[in-house]
Amino acid sequence: MTATTRGGAGDPVGTADRLRREAGGRIAEALAAAPPGAVGDVYVGWVAAHEAATCPARYRGEGEHGWGFPGWSPPLAAGACGRAALAHHIARADRTGRAPPLPMPLDAIRAWMRALRAGDGAGSGGAPPVERSGVGDWICDVWEDGDSATLAAVAATASRWLAGFVRVLGWPLPPQLTLVGPGPAAAPALRWRPDKASPVTVASGADARLGRVTGAGGFVLVVHRVTSGDDGALRDRAAFEAAAGGLAIGVAPGSVLITAGDTGDRVTIPVDDRLLALGAERIVAVVTERVAAVERGFDPGDATPSAACRHCDHLADCPPGEAWVRGAGRWQGGLPVMPVTPPVMPPPNGASPLDP
Amino acid sequence: MVEALGDVLAMPLDAPSSDGIAALRAELDAGARATGAVGGWSPDEPLRLSKHLVTGLLRCPRRALSERSEDNGPADDVVVGWMVDAAAKLATVSPRRSVTVDAAVAFLSALGDATVADRLADLGPAAAPIRSDASARIDGLAASGLSAVDPAWWPRVEEPVRVALAGGAVIVAGRIDVLLGGPPTGRPGVIVEVKGGRWYDGMRADGHLYALLLALRDGEVPARAVTIVSDGTTQVEPIRPALLQHAAERLDEAMGVAARLAAGEPAAMSPGAHCQHCPVRPDCPVGRSWRPRAAETGP
Repeated sequence: MTATTRGGAGDPVGTADRLRREAGGRIAEALAAAPPGAVGDVYVGWVAAHEAATCPARYRGEGEHGWGFPGWSPPLAAGACGRAALAHHIARADRTGRAPPLPMPLDAIRAWMRALRAGDGAGSGGAPPVERSGVGDWICDVWEDGDSATLAAVAATASRWLAGFVRVLGWPLPPQLTLVGPGPAAAPALRWRPDKASPVTVASGADARLGRVTGAGGFVLVVHRVTSGDDGALRDRAAFEAAAGGLAIGVAPGSVLITAGDTGDRVTIPVDDRLLALGAERIVAVVTERVAAVERGFDPGDATPSAACRHCDHLADCPPGEAWVRGAGRWQGGLPVMPVTPPVMPPPNGASPLDP
Repeated sequence: MVEALGDVLAMPLDAPSSDGIAALRAELDAGARATGAVGGWSPDEPLRLSKHLVTGLLRCPRRALSERSEDNGPADDVVVGWMVDAAAKLATVSPRRSVTVDAAVAFLSALGDATVADRLADLGPAAAPIRSDASARIDGLAASGLSAVDPAWWPRVEEPVRVALAGGAVIVAGRIDVLLGGPPTGRPGVIVEVKGGRWYDGMRADGHLYALLLALRDGEVPARAVTIVSDGTTQVEPIRPALLQHAAERLDEAMGVAARLAAGEPAAMSPGAHCQHCPVRPDCPVGRSWRPRAAETGP
């Protein structure tokens, strides 16, 4: 992306336009390298961006399931369900004209699920209608299937998300905070496609927005993580979300606020041209690797070994990964890992233990 | 000793004073900096401590380092413990269900952890004793009161908590089985740890460590640590300043042991009740020679 002297804050609309043009152009260029129709859906979320950046070989080896939207599951749906339930809780209070009380996480999730089931809100305690959404439809399907284990797992993960979000952001929620996702009190999900026919969907993982979107920019994208995980990737995460959000909204955000439930941390990262350029780079890299995967799937030749190798499906076919696990990987979390069976120690007299 | 969690929550619980949290953090930061210099840890490559590792390092470093080896599959008692743990969490989030072994295993699988389901499937009919054992222990939790907690207590399962010391060179993290109250509920925090085995005194340490981590994270000291054991025991401890201080000292000592190991010191082998289920025992002369005393029970 072309650098400007004033950064993203100087001309947020122009910056986002330029971002769309340049990212769109590079994505089209990457896709043009593949035979027509060879590239199926490419879902560019943070996980894909992180994988493509940290080990391209692993990302290419994901297959269609990993390249497209992986489908809902309780861990993946935690944020979407938590946000939708919180938006529903706020909307219910708005109907009464009173300030929303502190939500009780499990009750809020259940109330939202009941409203989903009721369809038009009837029978759900005067609740407003629940808007259709992908995750809402999935919950209804799970309910129809009588899969109570999955519903309970969603209640567990989504209530944990909601509790952490409210604890870290504070209650009442900050003024001008708008949740992202389905619901009358929420903003639409932040998605961007380079063009209608493109197989690429860029999905921002932002959970909320602080401030109104105007041509002057300045609004903040809020990304809440249940666990902080790899803080080394914090700037990368902010870069990805700033670019994805800017692409989807058409206005570059002023900053990205990244929060973590496990630490209670709130880190604000200002958005400038360098950050947006890094984010765009991450987005384009996903598409580039997906195109490369048409002819070259998992290839250990450019594997980048790391702690992720321990849980990688390709480990058995990846000499660099195996070597890492046998070498540096014998250290975990700052300590050596010892084999259960220790090396044979020589007896005290110095004779070989193999001596008769 | 009380009958059930409900009795604890029905009591008037005063939030403990938050005085002293800053001093504890300062002490731990200083300890982490000192040991980090020996262990060679940094924010990029930190020491990562969990409740298991803290206890393991203090109990028997040799076992603690081996337990993390991926050569090990989970032992049967560990699998049973996971099922009991899942059952308690399921009861918390889905109070109207009757919790069975199958429901607990399905709950775990829905959360993305198919280890137990796979293990049971691999064992086939041979899994019957494991299932039976787990079922009896899950029944033992029925009176715990987990399924009857008022939602205003904000029951959260697997609440993650993480504290960075010495600028991130040491990370102490864990997941509290069930957390009730605490900010922003306006109620004091109550930590609930669920244990699948038989009660022994060492179980208390996990709740103490979590109380310390929560205090450091939230700036508020939780009021109680409750350990619910599948043998029917419910152990309730008020969180006093001395208890937090003790937890901090244990953590500091564990960092010291870890630093010496990271610097190349051989892992000491310390025998005790933990030898009974130790994967290293067949090759550990100290462990092989250890014998339980009649009254000794343990992990």
